[in-house]
Formats: sequence, C-alpha cells, structure tokens
Amino acid sequence: MNDASRQARSPSDRARQVETRAKAMGHIVLNVILAILFIFLFLRAGSLPSSVWEPLGSGTFPRMVLAALVLFNGLIIATETRHFIAMPALPAKALSDWCYQHRLAFGVLGLFALFVLAVPIVGFRWASLPFLVTCQYLLGARHLRGILIAIAVALVMSFGIEALFRDVFTISLPRGLWN
Amino acid sequence: MADFFLQALGQVGSPVVLALITIGVLFGIIGGCIPGFTVTMAILVVFPFTFAMDPVSGVSLMVGVFVGGYSGGLVSGIMLGIPGTPSSITTVYDGYPMAQKGEPGRALGIGVAASFIGTLISVAVLVFFGPLIASYSMKFRPWEITSLIVFALTLVAGLSNGAMLKGLLAAVLGLLITTVGYDRNSNLRFDFDLPVLGSGFEILPVMIGIFAFSQLMGNLEKLRDDKSDIKEVNTDVSIPYRQILVDMSRQKINTLRSSLIGSLVGALPGTGGTVANFISYDQAKKMSRHPERFGTGTPDGIVASEASNSAVAGGAFVPTMALGIPGDLPMAIMMGVLILHGITPGPLMFEQNPVLVGAIYASLLIGAVVMVLSQLLLVRWFAKISLIPQQVLVPVVLMLCAVGAFALNNNLFDVWVLFIFGVLGYLLWKAEVPLTPLILGVVLGDNMERQLFRALELDGSWLTFLTRPLSALFLALAVVSLIFSLYQNRKIRLHTLETKGGDA
Repeated sequence: MNDASRQARSPSDRARQVETRAKAMGHIVLNVILAILFIFLFLRAGSLPSSVWEPLGSGTFPRMVLAALVLFNGLIIATETRHFIAMPALPAKALSDWCYQHRLAFGVLGLFALFVLAVPIVGFRWASLPFLVTCQYLLGARHLRGILIAIAVALVMSFGIEALFRDVFTISLPRGLWN
Repeated sequence: MADFFLQALGQVGSPVVLALITIGVLFGIIGGCIPGFTVTMAILVVFPFTFAMDPVSGVSLMVGVFVGGYSGGLVSGIMLGIPGTPSSITTVYDGYPMAQKGEPGRALGIGVAASFIGTLISVAVLVFFGPLIASYSMKFRPWEITSLIVFALTLVAGLSNGAMLKGLLAAVLGLLITTVGYDRNSNLRFDFDLPVLGSGFEILPVMIGIFAFSQLMGNLEKLRDDKSDIKEVNTDVSIPYRQILVDMSRQKINTLRSSLIGSLVGALPGTGGTVANFISYDQAKKMSRHPERFGTGTPDGIVASEASNSAVAGGAFVPTMALGIPGDLPMAIMMGVLILHGITPGPLMFEQNPVLVGAIYASLLIGAVVMVLSQLLLVRWFAKISLIPQQVLVPVVLMLCAVGAFALNNNLFDVWVLFIFGVLGYLLWKAEVPLTPLILGVVLGDNMERQLFRALELDGSWLTFLTRPLSALFLALAVVSLIFSLYQNRKIRLHTLETKGGDA
C-alpha cells in the first residue's frame, strides 16, 4: 500500500484516486503514441527537398511543428507521470470496465464505419436506412413505439435526404453497384 | 459602402434568400434549443445544403442559423432548466426559476427581446469596427500576420481551462494537419503513397469530424448517465407582451452593457458566447441594486445572459472578416464555408467582396427580425422540439455529417477523413485535450506557413519578427497570454486541491 492509498479516507476518495491514476495513464499512453508518430514524421520530413534559393525547404515548417509537438508531448508525459506515481495501482479490470462504460460510443462508431463501407456497394439510401434504425435501437429505441419512430425517422432521413439532394440541389449521392 | 449595402440588401431581400434566412433561423433555434446540439452543430448540419447555392444565398442561410442558434438555447434553458447551448448557461439561473413560478412566457419573452436587441447592437459594432480594423490591418506585412496568428493560437490554447499544455498541443497538431499534401513548390509531404492525400485534407471534413464526433459521443455518455433524469414539461406557453415591454423598459442600461460585453467578447479569439454570458451576468449582478434577487427569477439575469450571448454573433464576425482570424468554433466553421465558396475572409474581403460583406450585415439584421417573430409565435413548438431524444439525434446528425463530407467533392474518401478525424477528436476529447485550438490551427495553418515563408523570403533574418514593432507586440502578447494562462492553471490546481482537501 503506498502513501496515497493510505491517505484515502473514504470510498469516494479511493474512487477519485483511481480516476486520477486512470486519466494519467490514458494521457501517458496517448502522448507516447503521438510522440512516436511525430518523431517518425520529423525524420521523414528531413528527407523532403529544399532549395538554396528559398529561405524554407518543404520540410522546414513541418519539422518546426513536429518538434514543438514532441516537446509538448514530453512535458505532458512528465506532468502526468507525477500524478500516475502518486496514486495507488489500478484495479485489474480497469481497462475492461472503461471499454464497457464506453460501449455505446464504440458501438455507434463501429456502425458508422460499416455504414461508410456499405455506401459504395448498396448506395446511400440502403446503407443509411439500416444504419439509422440499428443506431437508434442500440441507443434505446427498444419498445414498439420507439422502433416505429426509428423506422419512420430512418425512412425520411435516408430516402428523403437522397431525393432532396438529387432533385433540389442536383447533387447525386452514391447509388451503389446495382444502379 | 452604402451603395454596396443597398445592392446587398436587394439580393438578400429577394424572396428566395428571405426564405433561406427564415429556414436558417428556424433551424438555428431548433438546434440551439435541443440540449447538447449547440450552434456549431447546427451550422455543420446545414452547410452541405449551401454547396449548390450562390455565395450570397449560402452565407445568408448560414448567418440565419448563427442568429437563430445563439437565441435558441434559451428555450430549453427556461423550460427544462437545461441550457440548450453552453452560451445560455446563465439564462437558466433566472429563466428557469421564473418559469417554475408560473411565468415561462414572461421569461421566454424577456429572453427573446434581449436576444433581439443584443443582435442589433452587435451588428452596429460590426458595421463600425469591421471596416476600421480591416483598413488598419491592410498595413500588416507577413511578419505581423504570422505573429498575429501565433498570438491567436496561444490565446485560444491558453484559455483552455487548466489545460494550457494540451491546448498548445492541440493548436500545433492543427497546424500539422495542414502540412499534408503538395506544398507551394509541388513537393509532396506526408502522403504515405496515397494519391488522394496529394491535395491534402479538406478542412471541412476534418473540422466536422473533430468537433461533431466528440460532441455526439459526449452526448451519448450523458445519455448513459442521465437515463433517470427525463423531465415532464408543460409546453403550453403564452407570451405576456405588455409585461415584457414594461420589463424591457426597465433594462435599458443592462441590455446595452450586456450587448457591448457580448460584442467585445465575441470579437476576441477563443472566447465566444459561453464566456460572454458569464461576464455580463456577473457584471449585471455587481451593478444591480438588488444582487440578492439574482438566481431567483429576476428579469435582469435573463437580459444580461441573452443580450450578451446573442451579441456574440455580430462581434465574432469582426476578427473573421477584418483579420481572417475566426474568434470561436462556429466562426471557424463559417470561415471554412466562406473559403468553400471561393471567398477568403480577411481585410481584402471588404474590397473584393463588398456585396457579400453587405449581405452578411443585412442577413444579420433580417435574421434578428425573423428570430424574434419566430420565437414569439412558435415558442411552444420549439419547447416541444427541445425534447427530441439523443437516440434519434445522434445517428441523424452523424449521417448528415457524412452527407456533407461526401457532397463537398462527391468523394467517399472525404467521408473516411471525417470518420478518422472523428475518432481522433473523440480520443483527444476523452484525454481532455481542448478541440477549439486544434480547429483554429487547421483553419490558420496554411496561411501561417505561407506568411512565414514570405517573411523570410523578404528578409532572411528571424530577428525581424522582433524588430518590427507590431509584430513584436503580437509576440509579446502571445507570451503574456501564456504566462497568464500558467497563473490561471496554478490557481485552478490549487483550488482543486483545496476542494479535495475540504471534501476529505
């Protein structure tokens, strides 16, 4: 047991400490990943051409930006490491709990990715209709009335929007492989 | 300018454009009154519909959304006690108690009247200061413009509550995004052998992805937390017109002061309606003879909040039109839309597109009139609409974002850009990285690199940025804003520690 967990006087204190440590860990992981990406891009930008006739080569501005980004990543990692060390260890199920808490967001993002994949194949109308119905179902339209509203909304927003763009704005949304 | 304004008024006054402004205002109010939807989201949803329009029609529609959106937040704030937009948080303080006392119509009427006057005063500020600042900024050379952009970015990054480092990271990340694709000498940068990246990322799918996805996913998290918090609301509201006239006649100074605060705050980069309504509410309370009545349902509080947040609409146009630097998130999106229509916001806009400038003024004025009429006549319907559940809203808005991204170039790649930046924006939002600096970085990145290049082409010495007085002033202000932000960060941290200590 470290100092911080000894100082935690109540369950809410303990929960706050866990939250702080979890956030700090999230920040560290994100910034380490970003820093690696930025260092890679920094090195890649070094091979971009430059001219003796010009004050800045193609890679100069990106390298300045990337150097600043790596610096900020480093400072954030240093700050968050202090928070991370000061707090007690995370429970074993912290990551799976976090994923479970964000299941709705991940579910919607997954459905959106499927929708975008389906658009070139089945067209906008037939990709957006199931996307809208499934998404509303996922987010809570579980009873008959809710499902009927979800279907009505989906019909209007898929077929209606496609018709509006085609006939009023003369912008053709994807029609799929079979049209 | 008067000739151009009359010419613009002629165009804006055509039935089609008037109808577009009305649609924009109605949609803006609806967007503003749905909790968690916000003005920015309303603008994002409407912008794909402007692709097929001429610039005046497209911009008029967007301005309508802008005006309606800033006034729409008051409906759910007063009826539900939930601010429709962050810029109407203080409206709830007095609007909701007044509605709970059985006077929802009075609260809504006062809010609408204050919004109307606030918008009018902000248009006057825009008409007066816009050309003045633009003509002065015509003297800016590349050194001054580069330093001004640095100042704007550090100011916005520094205003991110207690997260200055993350704000700076976000701003610079925005700059990085603009370096993808061909540069001025046709050299490819960071294309990863994908031909579609040759022209770089379109800024609108990037901005929509970053903002809309984080906002909508955030709403989903609230949906998870607030399932038991669904309120029953009586939407049967009637407006007591005479009472409102009496109330407003007692609020002249408050209305004027709050509108000026809103216009000024709107003109500052990175602030916007949220800051404006807090400052003017605080000022109104300090200046009041009865500060103890604030928070219990006094008209003073509603007027202070609504006059100021609506005045942001006109004020926010000042830096965008005069300097080409957007003041807040909705204006950054608006700037993206203007660029899409082939108009580059900045001092030259007043010379090159005077009719469009006049159309913006005229649309703001007409939008304010349409807004007040719509709010007064249709308020009970708006109150009903504010109850639209997130389960319907989230998928519909996501789909409309996809349509907008696609319709930009009839290109599915832009929808993938939207998705990828949406996921990135959500992750950054979860990591408490402020997204406004990121979006400003995306909007200003190209110009910053271009101006930096020009400055060094004219004079190879970096010291020139410090020897030119105005450029040095902007850089000094950037440093001051960072020092101030460090001080604020420290204060927030100490306050948090004290609160935690007190709780324990």
